Amino acid sequence: MQTVGIEAMNVYAGTARVDVEELARHRGLDITRFANLLMKEKTVALPYEDPITFGINAAKPLIDALTPQEKDRIEVVITCTESAFDFGKSMSTYFHKLLGLNRNCRLFELKNACYSGIAGLQTAINFVLAGVSPGAKALLIATDISRFMTAEGGEGLTDDWSFFEPSSGAGAVAALVSELPYVFQVDVGASGCYGYEVMDTCRPAPDREAGDADLSLLSYLDCCEKAFMEYQARVEDADLASTFTYLAMHTPFGGMVKGAHRNIMRKIAKARAADIESDFERRVQPSLNFGQRVGNIMGASTLMAIASAIEHGQFDAPQRIGCFSYGSGCCSEFFSGVAGREGQARIHAQGIGDRLDQRHRLSMTEYDEILAGSHVVKFGTRNAVPDPSFIAPARKAHERETLFLKQIKEFHREYEWVS
Amino acid sequence: MTKEQIFKLIVTHACEVIPRLETHAFTETDSLRELGANSIDRSEIVMMTLEAINLDMPLAQTLKAGNIGELAQLLADRKASLPA
Repeated sequence: MQTVGIEAMNVYAGTARVDVEELARHRGLDITRFANLLMKEKTVALPYEDPITFGINAAKPLIDALTPQEKDRIEVVITCTESAFDFGKSMSTYFHKLLGLNRNCRLFELKNACYSGIAGLQTAINFVLAGVSPGAKALLIATDISRFMTAEGGEGLTDDWSFFEPSSGAGAVAALVSELPYVFQVDVGASGCYGYEVMDTCRPAPDREAGDADLSLLSYLDCCEKAFMEYQARVEDADLASTFTYLAMHTPFGGMVKGAHRNIMRKIAKARAADIESDFERRVQPSLNFGQRVGNIMGASTLMAIASAIEHGQFDAPQRIGCFSYGSGCCSEFFSGVAGREGQARIHAQGIGDRLDQRHRLSMTEYDEILAGSHVVKFGTRNAVPDPSFIAPARKAHERETLFLKQIKEFHREYEWVS
Repeated sequence: MTKEQIFKLIVTHACEVIPRLETHAFTETDSLRELGANSIDRSEIVMMTLEAINLDMPLAQTLKAGNIGELAQLLADRKASLPA
């Protein structure tokens, strides 16, 4: 069978972060219970950052590493997002231009809440498997930001949003998908989907998030079990406890992944409580390390979990990773793939952890200033120039060329490289 | 399995997840949310109870219950509707 999967992958999580415990204290949340979130930091999107700057800063190193001939073989660009700033124009068009890609290329954007990244990955994989353009590559960019402003609570909206401010992040994952899966070779056909209509969480307006946290959590738990059962029905001898060396799951916050892992291990693997805890530390924790420092990046979250598992796991020999993606509304999928020593070396070479360290640490005063919103470029803005002096140290955080939003002119976004 | 038996199981699991509730005198009209259980705690209590009574149902359907008595009734009804 033809091999297919991720040839190269990078995570980019912006230029500014807040310490989540500091934020919790600042908001007067119960710190002892708060530890259950398993969150350390989160990325905060600055006014001159948008889904394009996150996506380009993730994708640029991957594209720069290609020869001109290889770059010309990128024939599809898929943007996976729930943070688009236009209902018609696809963000793939901006990525295509800013990366200088071949014009004979299919450009589109895909939405399905937090499932978008994996919907895009499967679309890219099937493009390669179809063999209609042998040797072609697809560029996948999953990019999402949260500008934390919740909709006013009404009927059907619960008040359990205290989890969401500390956990909602911003970031992007870029991946080249091709028949050269150096980083992550997908197990072709090994996948189980589970979806149904449910009103759990949503973005009913461009700058607003709303939802029922309880329903979303329970729907995630139900889907994780049902999607795995479907995977197991399709993959001979698949066993939750022994088939996968690592598990990488969509991570709204680590505590939710821990709950889902506990549920499936109890119900499907019939594991005992003490074994579940050590299994979590061994098989799940490596996938959470990046997410614990970035927060929930929605459509890009499962891809970041896969990158984190490859970066932090042991890959002296090839290992299988079981992956679960859930997007509110809802659709979910359990699938798997294999990574080895070369994949880990390639992820490691991107220096993802170093760039997380380099982010500017925001004071609570700076953070509240961002939330106050006067600097924020709202959805539908026709003309704007974000103030480059606002939280200026963040712009130099990475000590290398970083893309920022320069201005919006008649709805068109213009960007600049700053070093 | 009766509603009362399931109610006791929910109380046991609530105390296991949130130890400070051990001294609380539970009534059927108590809501886990009002007792300070967050959404993760609540899912945990429901999952433990489903497992204890060997009942498999979508967790999302348990949200219809507004308090512990209603939850016990919902699980008892579902359990009774299944062939033994």
